[in-house]
Amino acid sequence: MNDRHIVSAFDADLEKVQAHIMKMGGLVEEAILDASKSLKNRDEELAEQVRNNDKAIDALEELINDECIKLIALRAPAAIDLRVALSVLKIAGNLERIGDYAKNMAKRTSVLVHMAPVEGARGALRRMAREVQLMLKDALDAYIQRDAELARDILERDRDIDQMYNALFREFLTFMMEDPRYITPCMHLHFIAKNTERMGDHVTSIAEQVIYLVTGELPDDTRPREDHYDPALSVEK
Amino acid sequence: MYDAPNLGAKVDQKAIKISAKNCQVYYGDTHAIKDVDIEIEDKTVTAFIGPSGCGKSTFLRCLNRMNDTIDICRVEGDILLDGEDIYDKKVDPVQLRAKVGMVFQKPNPFPKSIYDNIAYGPRIHGLARNKADLDEIVEKSLRRGAIWDEVKDRLHSPGTGLSGGQQQRLCIARAVATEPEVLLMDEPCSALDPIATAQVEELIDELRTQYSVVIVTHSMQQAARVSQKTAFFHLGNLVEYDDTGTIFTNPRDERTESYITGRIG
Repeated sequence: MNDRHIVSAFDADLEKVQAHIMKMGGLVEEAILDASKSLKNRDEELAEQVRNNDKAIDALEELINDECIKLIALRAPAAIDLRVALSVLKIAGNLERIGDYAKNMAKRTSVLVHMAPVEGARGALRRMAREVQLMLKDALDAYIQRDAELARDILERDRDIDQMYNALFREFLTFMMEDPRYITPCMHLHFIAKNTERMGDHVTSIAEQVIYLVTGELPDDTRPREDHYDPALSVEK
Repeated sequence: MYDAPNLGAKVDQKAIKISAKNCQVYYGDTHAIKDVDIEIEDKTVTAFIGPSGCGKSTFLRCLNRMNDTIDICRVEGDILLDGEDIYDKKVDPVQLRAKVGMVFQKPNPFPKSIYDNIAYGPRIHGLARNKADLDEIVEKSLRRGAIWDEVKDRLHSPGTGLSGGQQQRLCIARAVATEPEVLLMDEPCSALDPIATAQVEELIDELRTQYSVVIVTHSMQQAARVSQKTAFFHLGNLVEYDDTGTIFTNPRDERTESYITGRIG
């Protein structure tokens, strides 16, 4: 298929909105990394910065929404162009949510720095966040390169994130049972872990949008879910 | 008695009204339609889209033998209406065209009264026994053409005095007056303003309950709005034929995608 539209302004519009998605993706990746770094290093200043930077992410989402609405109303996109407009809208929504979770991680970090550190957990959380950030980077690469295979790979990788979360959940539970003074920090850390796991789900949703964009169909098999232990539902007394 | 099991038959499957097999059309040495196979469903609006010169109008004109009027034009292959070959020697083209009506790009009412525009076809085909019959046919046709209310008080003024949109609906009313089974429309809205276009599109949707409608259009948005099935023609080939929703969201052929997204094909 020919890459260029007869009306070149249409191409310019599509390129612009996609450039904004990539810019937004870059900011969100940075937010994940900085938030987890501030948690690891107990760096309150960096955490504050992450919280402030979230405004830019939200503004980009609004800009992308506006551009998509105009694109749909004025250019009546069809087929691949329509799928670009729709996937861009959804990906912007996912990125905005991931940004919010990173902001929340930074917020909890500001509280956690004033408490006794919980050994080991911060390193594991940082690794988990790092993994999610890499998945996001690959999802955005898959988007720009229209690479459905890479996107499918991300669907698989999200399972690792779920397992990391389950392991952390058990660890926090053990800490809290051993010493009730750990309950407050561990509750914060647990929310961070849960939010990071949710980030992974949003990255998965971005990857699904890439598959839809390329193939015209959403992956029909929902991701292979083991009969996995849901810690939240089987808390021992 | 017990209920017969549903053996996986599609409930919404429509009967096939027109079926073309290996259809070829030549204008002299020019091979204008190449090996087209298509099955057009009854009570469905089928849109033909494609760039200028792709053969969509030529193929449309094959469906009621309008190409017979062009000396150098030669049609090969089979075109079946309800399973019967319309190019069979026994078929009278005039009778055929009463069954397969046509509406053209430019409204072309006869230079006669509104009443006579409608009454002409039924008269020559002997569909009315008396004046009362004919009056009834005229009213019914004008109602189906969604123009009755606008012209009922001036049935004997000239059809050419109507506005463009009204003239086109008059032509559609004229086409349905002979009780056709298929209605062919060759860019019926290209000479109309958006309001008149919307009225004709609404009319097409109503006509679908009784007829098989085939419409050629240059407006892809119009094809998307009015049709259930869309066929994309390119350089004399039928490239893709599918549900309209599929054609406009996820076409299989790259040429279709290039065309509907406004890229050079």
